[in-house]
Amino acid sequence: MSTILLMVLTIAVGAWTAFADEAPIAGTVKTVDVGAQTLTLEVASKGKTREVIVYMKPGAKIVRFIRPTEPGKTGFIEQEVPLSAVKVGWIVSATTKHEGDREVAEQVKIVVERSL
Amino acid sequence: MRAKLFTSLAIGALGLLVGLWLICPPATRANGDKHEEKGGHAHVPAPLEYADAHVPLAVWTDPAMIARGKEIYTVKCAVCHGDTGDGKGPAGVVLPLKPSDFRDKAGVAEMRDNYWFWRVSDGGQVEPFKGKGSAMPSWKSELSVEDRWAVMAYQHTYSGHDGPHVPWEHPESVAMGRDIFVMACVPCHGVVGKGDGSVGPMLAPRRAPQPRDFTSAEFKFRSTPSGQLPMTADLFRTMTEGVRSGGGPMTIGLRGHRIMPSFQHMPVEQRLEVLEYVKSLNRGFWERGAVKTVTVPAPPTLTPERLTRGKQLYTDAECLACHGERGRGDGLSAPTLKDNRDLPIAATDLTRPERFKTGSRPEDVYRTLMTGLAGTPMPSYGDALEPDQAWDLVYYVLSLSNNRRRTSEAVR
Repeated sequence: MSTILLMVLTIAVGAWTAFADEAPIAGTVKTVDVGAQTLTLEVASKGKTREVIVYMKPGAKIVRFIRPTEPGKTGFIEQEVPLSAVKVGWIVSATTKHEGDREVAEQVKIVVERSL
Repeated sequence: MRAKLFTSLAIGALGLLVGLWLICPPATRANGDKHEEKGGHAHVPAPLEYADAHVPLAVWTDPAMIARGKEIYTVKCAVCHGDTGDGKGPAGVVLPLKPSDFRDKAGVAEMRDNYWFWRVSDGGQVEPFKGKGSAMPSWKSELSVEDRWAVMAYQHTYSGHDGPHVPWEHPESVAMGRDIFVMACVPCHGVVGKGDGSVGPMLAPRRAPQPRDFTSAEFKFRSTPSGQLPMTADLFRTMTEGVRSGGGPMTIGLRGHRIMPSFQHMPVEQRLEVLEYVKSLNRGFWERGAVKTVTVPAPPTLTPERLTRGKQLYTDAECLACHGERGRGDGLSAPTLKDNRDLPIAATDLTRPERFKTGSRPEDVYRTLMTGLAGTPMPSYGDALEPDQAWDLVYYVLSLSNNRRRTSEAVR
């Protein structure tokens, strides 16, 4: 019985932790460091602005959304963009996970490709 | 027995999960802001510089404009707002401040056209949206005014509303202003803003000024040319500063001899909400085209020559016929003056600047001279005087008042 209790509790807390640890983040690109594989974003929340360094997980993708060129196709398709192509001033979003004291992203989405 | 125990444990664990969720919810809102209101799209009033940015009525239903808007929307907006206008475009789904869902009829109905235009123009790069993490870019440098109207007209089609997007189609868009109006303005301006409130006649019994009829086209205090409706900034100034004038017993206690009290202590947002309601009583605010305002140039230096020229203009422009030679409001025509309601109206005593209805600063007097006071015998001198001449007259008028000492000191 105690084994079952432990298992259920582990699953419950694990599920909560997994959700709680994941946070969407969006902001303006302040710096791009290709060597360190990081993006520094200026993000705003509750009236305050702060800078967050987003670490790209190995194999992480940066994507923009474009219209398909094939006739008859609608919607958007993802197009991968290298980190070096990301420009300061663009707005991007990412779902990050805490790894130690780092915000690590598996995918970054480009929202606006111009300085605001 | 065992199954029952397992069920109890499962329920307990689920309760624990829910409890944890409530105590410390996961960051479902990006940037850590977990308690955003519905999409963060609080429809605050548009700032004064956008308050008159009303979209021409025909735009909302013009097929050509809607088609033009669709083209722009597909390229620039759909990536976040979605091809179906649901706010779920691929780039928008993980944004901290969710893109607007234009299919939300109630949400769209509450959104005034000037607010909408402001949002498209400045995007989320202004407060209160910037502080909430809005990713909406500003489009005013990329899209012309007409393009922005077109995009709005297309976005509006998602809501399913067929007519123009105006307050008389969507009364809920001015509901907050209406509530404040009921509490603060109805006693004088009446239930429907026709200036027929129960207190009105007691403000100045059987004489002018009487509370404004917001449904008419006549507004005294304007920066717009004679015969035109005021700008929202004009209404805001009047509401903020009140109207100075001697009044009946009901005005006792209104500091500064005001016949309309100052609402300067009402929060700016609430004043703007009231004004959006007041404007909704007059369709002319939506039906007028571009408006040229009377700009007040920087006041020139006061010199004795200016005062001399101003004195001559005071005579030539026949100011003394009503205001009298010394400006005391005792000119030959003064006893016969009536306003457009056929009520006797006093010529302003220019020696008492505290009773100048729209203020006694040089720029206030300049504006009054150049626009006139609609519905009263005070004409506009906008076509008769050059700005420099108007300043001469302004300084002379101010020299008649109790400001004489200050004026003289300035000359010295």
